[in-house]
Amino acid sequence: MRIVVLHKWAPDPQEATVGADGSVDFSRAKAAVSDYDAVAIQCGRQLADAAGAALVGVSVGGEAAARPVATKSALARGLDEVVVVSDPELEEAGSARTAQAIAAAVAALGDVGLVLAGDSSVDVGARMVPAVVAGRLGWPVLADVDSVALAGGSVAVERLAPEGVQSISAALPVVIALTSEAVKTKAPGMKDVLGAGKKPVTVKSLADLGLTALSEGAVTSRAKLGGPARKGVVIDTSDPAAAAAELVDALRAAGALA
Amino acid sequence: MSTYVLVAGNAGVSKLVAAAVELGGPVVAVVVGGADLAQAAAAPGVDRVVWLGEPGGKAAEAFAADVAKLVAADPGTVLAGRGPAERALLGAVAAAIAAPVVTAPVEIAPGQVTRGLVGGLALETRRYDGPVAIAADGGAPLAGGGGATVEQVSANPAAVEVTGLRPGRAAADLGSAARVVAVGRGLKAQADLPVIEALAAALKAELGCSRPLAEGLDWLPRDRYIGISGQQISPRLYLAVGISGQLQHMAGCRDSQLVVSINTDPDAPIASQSDYILTGDLYALAPALTAALG
Repeated sequence: MRIVVLHKWAPDPQEATVGADGSVDFSRAKAAVSDYDAVAIQCGRQLADAAGAALVGVSVGGEAAARPVATKSALARGLDEVVVVSDPELEEAGSARTAQAIAAAVAALGDVGLVLAGDSSVDVGARMVPAVVAGRLGWPVLADVDSVALAGGSVAVERLAPEGVQSISAALPVVIALTSEAVKTKAPGMKDVLGAGKKPVTVKSLADLGLTALSEGAVTSRAKLGGPARKGVVIDTSDPAAAAAELVDALRAAGALA
Repeated sequence: MSTYVLVAGNAGVSKLVAAAVELGGPVVAVVVGGADLAQAAAAPGVDRVVWLGEPGGKAAEAFAADVAKLVAADPGTVLAGRGPAERALLGAVAAAIAAPVVTAPVEIAPGQVTRGLVGGLALETRRYDGPVAIAADGGAPLAGGGGATVEQVSANPAAVEVTGLRPGRAAADLGSAARVVAVGRGLKAQADLPVIEALAAALKAELGCSRPLAEGLDWLPRDRYIGISGQQISPRLYLAVGISGQLQHMAGCRDSQLVVSINTDPDAPIASQSDYILTGDLYALAPALTAALG
């Protein structure tokens, strides 16, 4: 059996700049394996070792996703091999197009029993890709999962619900999106980094997968958003008690207190 | 063409129904859950309630393929909440009808959706020629009172079973709190949390935190983390204590009615996004505020 981990080579949104016309520029932002995907890779490694399964990374993106720095960073975290769907058209792909490419890559691998994903990507954070991938594959998906264990042909997970900690069992194959609770990540060691260069990497284009076009709408306008205007009142804090009293009065006047 | 609202386990979809009514066409609520939930979904604005029957021990996610098949028979725009089960159903539908997926919508109109980008720093409007799958804030619970009758359809749920529920620790509900006090890296030690807890109690507020405290330091549970990949809330009052206000954090609280910040650095990003700014040591200011409220 293969266990697949979805991972994204994502720019740090902290370094994104927004132009006056609302265009978002990621070109100067440093990219890395998206934070939560590191959780999924490490959790996948533990499950694969316990089940004697192969651990395959699947990543989708533009040209940068297939660069050695991207694939090595993911492999160093514990994957056995990586499949990258890299295509200029995927540069700004949304959840639907991304999921279509991922599902096709997973289907092409064959013998996949489990697909693991992180909670969300650092740059977009839509939290929809695992669900659309599952829909494409015709498998169930369980998201917000805090812990996961494989037992024979099924998987047992736990997650936090409004009513308490919920246990769910699902027959394989299944897609699971993990929270950061699933495992404590650790940085790859020197041996992992050196070994990563020797692991197999397969790069495919959209044409290789024979995917049909999928429209994600046409952009008609963009705008920079300032957020709601704030009052920006600076309260003198040289006397903490007086500052607190002033703030409480202001909040009471605004009807913000119970 | 119908417009669909997916209801999975909880009736909190009032905003989605309102948006569906604006979009036009018959509004169809597709309900995964008990009979009482189906009855609740028959609220004003809902033209049809399609119920997949009693789930028994099945998780809502088990019905994703059934819901997808139902919508695919008469494709239309689909709206769902942001919970894990809602996303599971929405994803299955989006895959079945090859619809684009939109999250964080700011404005929904027929054939056009405006959404926030990079945590709400920019807005983008797109035109769509076909149905769209939209994940958004659900809103208040429906409580029936509409004219629709519940139509039960047969389902063929997948093997996804709820096998247990351990009460005790439950997910915090920051989303419906009127006031939230959030704490960040300005707090020096976990042992100092009572300083902030006392302030939250005095304000009758829920306690939240920035990401490092929930993921990394583990001082507070993850469901109290406010930010782009955590809770996105819009309380009446948001009090940020020892939080610098990085983009990822502000994406989770940008829509708060009033923002107050307590932080040592007057030039931190949070200051320019606050209604009231208290520059100084949280260890002096938070207890003073607690006392002033008492």
